[in-house]
Amino acid sequence: MRRPRHLRTRLTLWYVSVLAGLLTLAWACTCALLFFQLRSQLDRFAIEEIETVEGLFYFTADGQLHIRENYHNHPESKEVIERYLEVLAPDGAVLFRNERLGNRPLGGPPFSGEGVGGYSARSARLLDGTRVRLVSRVHVLDGHHLLIRLAHSEETLFTRLRELMAASLVVLPVVLAAAGLAGYGLARRALSPIEQMARRAQEITPEKLDARLPNDQADDELGQLARVFNQTLARLEQAFEQLRRFTSDASHELRTPLAMIRSVGEVGLQKDGARAEYRDIIGSMLEEVNRLTTLIDNLLTISRADSGSIQLHRTVVPVMALAREAAALFEILLEEKAQRLFVEGEEDAQVEGDYVFLRQALVNVIHNAVKYSPVGETILVRVRTTASQLVVVEIQDHGPGIPVEDQPKIFNRFYRVDKARWRESGGAGLGLSIVKWTIEAHGGTVTLSSVPNQGCTFRISLPASDLPAQGSPAGLLGQREST
Amino acid sequence: MQWGAVCPYKGYVHILVVEDEQKMAQALREGLEADGYSVRAAYTGEEGAYLIQAQPFDLVILDVMLPGHDGFEILATLRKRGTRTPVMLLTSRDAVEDRVRGLDTGADDYLVKPFAFPELLARTRALLRRGKPDANPHFRLADLEMDVARRSVVRNGQSLDLTAREFDLVEYLFENQGRVVSREMLARDIWHETSRQTPLDNVIDAQMVRLRRKLDGQFDRKLLHTVRGVGFVLRDEDGP
Repeated sequence: MRRPRHLRTRLTLWYVSVLAGLLTLAWACTCALLFFQLRSQLDRFAIEEIETVEGLFYFTADGQLHIRENYHNHPESKEVIERYLEVLAPDGAVLFRNERLGNRPLGGPPFSGEGVGGYSARSARLLDGTRVRLVSRVHVLDGHHLLIRLAHSEETLFTRLRELMAASLVVLPVVLAAAGLAGYGLARRALSPIEQMARRAQEITPEKLDARLPNDQADDELGQLARVFNQTLARLEQAFEQLRRFTSDASHELRTPLAMIRSVGEVGLQKDGARAEYRDIIGSMLEEVNRLTTLIDNLLTISRADSGSIQLHRTVVPVMALAREAAALFEILLEEKAQRLFVEGEEDAQVEGDYVFLRQALVNVIHNAVKYSPVGETILVRVRTTASQLVVVEIQDHGPGIPVEDQPKIFNRFYRVDKARWRESGGAGLGLSIVKWTIEAHGGTVTLSSVPNQGCTFRISLPASDLPAQGSPAGLLGQREST
Repeated sequence: MQWGAVCPYKGYVHILVVEDEQKMAQALREGLEADGYSVRAAYTGEEGAYLIQAQPFDLVILDVMLPGHDGFEILATLRKRGTRTPVMLLTSRDAVEDRVRGLDTGADDYLVKPFAFPELLARTRALLRRGKPDANPHFRLADLEMDVARRSVVRNGQSLDLTAREFDLVEYLFENQGRVVSREMLARDIWHETSRQTPLDNVIDAQMVRLRRKLDGQFDRKLLHTVRGVGFVLRDEDGP
């Protein structure tokens, strides 16, 4: 059989079949109970009757057994009229059979111990198939042992049972149908929020991510489902929004150098200039091409980072050596600007990570510090290990600092504090976002504290490594391409 | 403009360029020819594979993304047949896997697009020179002399006081004398920087300003020049 498509139908079917099973069981128990009660009632009647008839038997002079029929006040009583009565001698000889019984035997030859010391009750059939309930009792009369058997028909009992069954057959389906309808209605009502949610979910597309599922206020399971789903939607919306902004920022950043290449080239073509002039024009175009190349390299790194396809090659990295190496790169710039850079701290501080990426991160931060610090200032790179097993690298400069309102956005992609100045300082606002990604990919954090006009401090925290140092960092630089 | 001085022997050096972008192939061909090489261009993988079989080349410059057989396939076939011709792969995919795959397949070098043309020339020279001893520890340009073994640089009879990095730079510029070296080349070969993202341009520019001060500062005859948008060149423009 095919499974019904709707959950509410399935629920109702389940519910109705369980109910039908339970009702049938209850009804069967009722029938059995009734049957046994009616039968024990029959037994009680029979016993009472036996006790009555015992005293009514007498032997005539010729030794015939008779019963005094005129005893009863109400001889027309059903129990009296409809009773079957037989008296047997211990050897099985029939001493007496009442009129209703006639010639038919009642229960056959006696078995040993029948009716001795109490009443034996059992079911039997007459020759014509009538079901009877009979009770036997041994009675001593005038020195003769008489086995008295008294029986009533069980037909009434079965008629009552049949009536009950017939009633049940009518009532049960009605009850089940009513229960089924009610159950279906309930299931439908309970499940209706799901339908609403499904309808709403269907309307949600990447362009319309601000829609939320209804019913999220409810305190039940469905409400919880809606809340969880809505939280997921919120995260998705945020991610999409970020992506959209990233795409639009990226295309803007790409368009700027392209526009310059185009203008410079077009204007250059219109001129009838000297060779040197053309060279200058081409040179200017190539400068923009270099900018584009760097930008695309950075975008590629970011997109690989986003898709999780960057694999970090982790080794033990001595942080002081890393910081010194990163700082040494800018030696010449520092000398030009009469700046001084100090690297100080714990020599044995080490982390586990990708040397190339960590170095890149430090280089980016130090480059920022060098770039924005005024002539003659000091830059401090401090390395320490905290009690909570973190290696903290602080890069402190005494530059103009970063305005408070810009501080939370400083790690965002394409974010530049001074939008007008970026071309001369040569960044597209991706350096710090790459730093953030790198540090977080290493399980660390990077934060900024800055007081405007007093400089800023970048604080990089990474989990410390207690593994023994392996090899020299210089060996890792051997990856450079052959020339 | 010419990228470098034409040496007479170069006319005998044959280079095959396999590149499906016709504009790119044309540029490569003209640039290499201007540097004095004899260049043949193929625009499809099939044509390239055929030409490699048909005639000997001293160097193959092979684009990875080709329609039909890609560069890796051609390279693999080439190496399977036992051809030892040096091969330089060009690709726009800067993925480490590609690089590793290329070098594993038997490429001798690997250049990521977009690249600076001087870089291509430098690598071409390096590949052609491979295996031959580089026995010229002595350079001279006009009145500038360098003795690599003795680590001395003399201008107009006057010994110049150079730092180790400046010395490396002068040696590198001398090796590429008359040809432009790009900032990327300097970053990689002098600063040993593997990542293209490292913001080294400012550093390189500052270093070159300082070196120029030492080399040319007090002389009228300028030898170290900046080529806008490309890089630097050691050349005697006022010479005979």
